[in-house]
Amino acid sequence: MKAFAFHRMKVYWPLYVMAIPGIVFLIVFKFVPLGGAIIAFKDYSVFQGFGDSPWVGLKHFKTLIEHPDFARVFGNTLMLGFLKLVLVFPVPVLLALMINEIRKSALKKGIQTALYIPHFLSWVIVGGILFDFFSLSGLFNIVIGWFGLDPVLAMQESDYFRPIYAISSIWRDAGWGTVVYMAAISAIDPQLYESAMIDGASKLRQIRHITFPLLLPTVLVLFLLEIGNFLDLGFDQVFNMLTPMTYSVGDILDTYVFRTGIQQGQYSFATAVGLFQSVIGFILVFVFNKLSKKVSDGGLW
Amino acid sequence: MVEAKRERAFVTGVTIFLILFSIAAIIPLLSVISTSFSSKSVVDMNLVTLWPKEFTLDSWKYIIDRPDLWRSFFLTVGTTVIGTVLALLMTALFAYPLSKSEFRWGSVIMVCVVIAMIFKAPIVPYFLTVRSIGLYDNPLVLILPHILNPFNLIIMRTFFKQFPKELEEAALLEGCGYFRMLFHFVLPLSKAVMATLALFYGVVLWNQFQHPLFFLQDTNWFPLQIKIRQFITDDSVMMAGAASTVDLNYNERTLRAATVIFAIIPIIIVYPFLQKYFVKGAMLGSVKG
Repeated sequence: MKAFAFHRMKVYWPLYVMAIPGIVFLIVFKFVPLGGAIIAFKDYSVFQGFGDSPWVGLKHFKTLIEHPDFARVFGNTLMLGFLKLVLVFPVPVLLALMINEIRKSALKKGIQTALYIPHFLSWVIVGGILFDFFSLSGLFNIVIGWFGLDPVLAMQESDYFRPIYAISSIWRDAGWGTVVYMAAISAIDPQLYESAMIDGASKLRQIRHITFPLLLPTVLVLFLLEIGNFLDLGFDQVFNMLTPMTYSVGDILDTYVFRTGIQQGQYSFATAVGLFQSVIGFILVFVFNKLSKKVSDGGLW
Repeated sequence: MVEAKRERAFVTGVTIFLILFSIAAIIPLLSVISTSFSSKSVVDMNLVTLWPKEFTLDSWKYIIDRPDLWRSFFLTVGTTVIGTVLALLMTALFAYPLSKSEFRWGSVIMVCVVIAMIFKAPIVPYFLTVRSIGLYDNPLVLILPHILNPFNLIIMRTFFKQFPKELEEAALLEGCGYFRMLFHFVLPLSKAVMATLALFYGVVLWNQFQHPLFFLQDTNWFPLQIKIRQFITDDSVMMAGAASTVDLNYNERTLRAATVIFAIIPIIIVYPFLQKYFVKGAMLGSVKG
């Protein structure tokens, strides 16, 4: 038996060698930082490192909850997360259902290309485009000028931050989001549509009774992944849209962690914020996964 | 008959809506492009909408004469190319054993991969770890953290799994080792997935902003996105070297527009070549398991 195991190792050793770089990468860049999250319960000092810094229990979480900034930052994060879930998430599903109805393939391709391109632009570029678009002599003010409205510096106005956040999310990523749904739709058996047509089902009925129900599991899985990132709004987007004038509505957990943790070096405190964010994300996934299992068979696990 | 008419109206309505939606998607881009090619005076008079007026290349000339911008540009091209090649190699080397049932730690490692995908470490311990391995203010931080992505790994593993076993068994009997197998048989047959993942990795490397912002201090190593960000937020960086703006044919806004478009050009050039691949890639990704 032992000889056999040894023989196995001898034949298969290249497989083990191949896996080494990947394993090292996962440990260094994923698991050490994940374990390093314990410094949320410690007073981390650079000299003592992750392991030897003294334990302080929930001290940083208490400071966090009592902190005057926290309510504002957490409120902003919830608000933007909610907007993203309600306004932004459904758009690719609707777009995919609509694109699927277009039969002329050249037109279809053109539409898809136009919708995909913004996804390949970084948030820095998108930020640049937004600031240009909404500047005093930008297209937005030119167009509202035609209707006799006074120009506004929308990027510097806190009332406009949330709408611009939602619209720019849709602009950059909704088209790209359709790719997965289009793939799922293309996997649907065409015979289903044929028999529905023989039964005289209209286009809308086919969408309602065939395409949408079969698309639902994919929608659910993506919804669950989305809700797990509910408080994780993407640092790049908000950071590149934020101006000092929109801080009151645009400062979120991600940007707050960057300021307190990376720039000011309050490592343990900022980790507590980050951990809080991850734990809420995990709880949300857990709860919604249970719910989605009750509603349908789908779910993440 | 009525039914068919309604049907046609429905499809037409959807088509018109989608055409309008896609036009709306490219309007902001067109507006920036036309600003970058217009003269300062018409831009200041709010006359430029979707077509350049008083066409001029002056803003572009100014951009193209900036050596610091080119430095960032070539640094970003370099890190993107090297990073993508390394990432594909790394991902293939790891995905291949994970796709084999003979590899006994496979299922355990896959659980770890999924955990790494779902749980994101808080950013501060991540920052401290990366700093402690010597990547702070080190240009390698533009490459190393990006050369393996759990999601891409799963896509590639799924792809490798669907290869017929017979071919490999025959090659193994002939005395072909696993390394030769991977590089001579498996990878040449995996062009579709390699192209898709090259696109995914390449875009991340090209567009990265958070890593250089957190980890780089030395302005010599600033990649394009950080440079562009400086140009967008800081007028003094923008107009450095321009003594007087009175008699020039550009202003901050046209220069900014040109800088933004400058950073998009490589993506627009590469895009058509890769477009056919990423739909395939998304299908691979959506077939989970």
